[in-house]
Amino acid sequence: MNHDFLSLYPAHMAEYLLAVAYLVMFIPFWKYVQGGKRAEVEVRVAAPARARAAVAAPAALPSWFQIPSNVYLHPGHTWARLEADGTVTVGADDFAHKLVGPTRAALPAPGADVVQGETAFYVGDSKKSVPMIAPVDGKVVAVNAEAAKKDDGLGDPYGKGWLFKVRPTRLKSNLHQLLGGATAKRFLDAAGEALSMRLTPELGAVLQDGGVPIDGLARAIAGEEWDAVARRFFLT
Amino acid sequence: MANGTAMTAQPSFFREKILMGMGTREYLRSLLTPFNAVAAVILAIGLPLLVYRFAAGLGATTNLSQTAPWGIWIGFDMMTGIVLAAGGFTIGATVQLFGMKDYHPIERPAILTAFLGYVVAVVGLLADLGRPWNIIQALFNYGTASALFEVAWCVMCYTTVLLLEFTVPFFEWMGWRKIHRIMKNALIALTVLSVMFSTMHQSALGSLFLLAPTKLHPLWYTRFIFIFFFISAILAGISMVIVESSISHKIFAHQLKGHGHGDETKLILGLGKAGAVVSFAYFFLKLQGVIDGHAWGYLATPYGAWFLVELLGFVLLPSLLFAYGARNRKVRVVRWGGGLMVAGIVLNRLNVSVIAFNWQLPAAQRYVPSWMEIAVSFALVTIGVLAFRWIVNRMPILREDPRFAEHH
Repeated sequence: MNHDFLSLYPAHMAEYLLAVAYLVMFIPFWKYVQGGKRAEVEVRVAAPARARAAVAAPAALPSWFQIPSNVYLHPGHTWARLEADGTVTVGADDFAHKLVGPTRAALPAPGADVVQGETAFYVGDSKKSVPMIAPVDGKVVAVNAEAAKKDDGLGDPYGKGWLFKVRPTRLKSNLHQLLGGATAKRFLDAAGEALSMRLTPELGAVLQDGGVPIDGLARAIAGEEWDAVARRFFLT
Repeated sequence: MANGTAMTAQPSFFREKILMGMGTREYLRSLLTPFNAVAAVILAIGLPLLVYRFAAGLGATTNLSQTAPWGIWIGFDMMTGIVLAAGGFTIGATVQLFGMKDYHPIERPAILTAFLGYVVAVVGLLADLGRPWNIIQALFNYGTASALFEVAWCVMCYTTVLLLEFTVPFFEWMGWRKIHRIMKNALIALTVLSVMFSTMHQSALGSLFLLAPTKLHPLWYTRFIFIFFFISAILAGISMVIVESSISHKIFAHQLKGHGHGDETKLILGLGKAGAVVSFAYFFLKLQGVIDGHAWGYLATPYGAWFLVELLGFVLLPSLLFAYGARNRKVRVVRWGGGLMVAGIVLNRLNVSVIAFNWQLPAAQRYVPSWMEIAVSFALVTIGVLAFRWIVNRMPILREDPRFAEHH
């Protein structure tokens, strides 16, 4: 009876059409499901805790190098923090500060474009400087003039020592490349261990008594060749 | 709650592990809740009926006949119980095999649900078999061409695997370290087995209907029915975990505090995404089944309308709810989608095995379950829910015992 409603060939045609229709509709459906609001909501909630985290963390954690929970870390030792106004603040992490020591920064001009993984600014003294890379893509919208001027301008790495702000252009895919939370902490701890392998015996005492590493470790390790050590860690 | 008298009492195994640290009287008093009262009534009716079925036989208790040998004990308890247990292998594979460790917090509840689902289904099956003691024969008569042979082997093997998977939290609860470590190491192998057996089992339940092309309505009958059963089992697994975690979240909230369940929203949204994609594909496959069976002439009949209710209301709609909820981070919408999807899968299994089965028979000859069958089914589900609650309240299901946490 109704089984013969369609003959074999038109039925096959309908099957093919349905299969093609499925594939064609699946693409926008997939894009719709995958798109939409992302983790930004969570980050904004965390943002007000920044000041508290920055103060409380050093007391609670015995780690050498600190990192608050609300910043994303690039393996080249630069960090990015999402701000409520949609911009991203960029700086050099605690490890970079302690490795290079009192220093000044040469920052990109406002309006310049920076690209994740490529050199964006330099840190160093009057003789030598080391390039550091941008953690995200974007256009520079503000620069921390204090950090650019003073020799110890970098100061507090995640607070006053921020370097510049960008308006991100590819934030979502950039964030995939960055480390956050416990992973970032582990990364810094591992970097610290790698560094301790290179330390000279006279600095060993600092470690054995459980002290915090002094600023300017690269100079302590390699003297005038400090920039080579720093470049290795900064991936430049 | 600890009180003055509790301090003088001897800390015994029974008191700590079974009575949850309460005195006997205090414990019994804590059982007096409206939920328990309803459960007690259901059990008081259902359990004696189950005994009566074994004493007096199927004819006295059910409306089964030669034309309708399968009733709701198969259609509901077995078909639905098994498909809703699919979260065990879905989430197990996600965590253990695909390495998505984010989903670890929901792995144990999913496995426990699967285990209890299977146990309840097996009890329902034993009640339905005319001579249940002969079930053992299925193991020794190698009827490898029979779908029922595959079903029997799979249900026995997979229930065993689920029991072994469940021993991990059980040994943790008992504090038996050595054997706990052995079972924990075996978990990957067990997960591989669970995926294998349940894949075969879920689809073999569908294969059973390949034998009944004239009895099952053409809109539901397709030669791909075993594939449909398998895909809808994955959907049921995902949806059940969503529904269950929502319920657990409310009822067992005190257990979840501070145990890394802050990411629950993320997990539900992730499951919602998976559910959206799978149900979208399932929707098109169901349509493909209709075309392949040359059955769309039936869409304009009452059965066709009922089929469309299932397809549009309980497959496409939850798919869209999943998609909308996952995209816009609306957990409530995803939960609604999950609830609707679970209802849809139950409806599908009932349609296939009861409602659209024997559809050509005159109404007088159609199977309608007796009140006793329904009461027993309710009692079995209630036992499953009570067992789930009993275990979750005592054993490390929603959280791991910190002494057994993986630090090394």
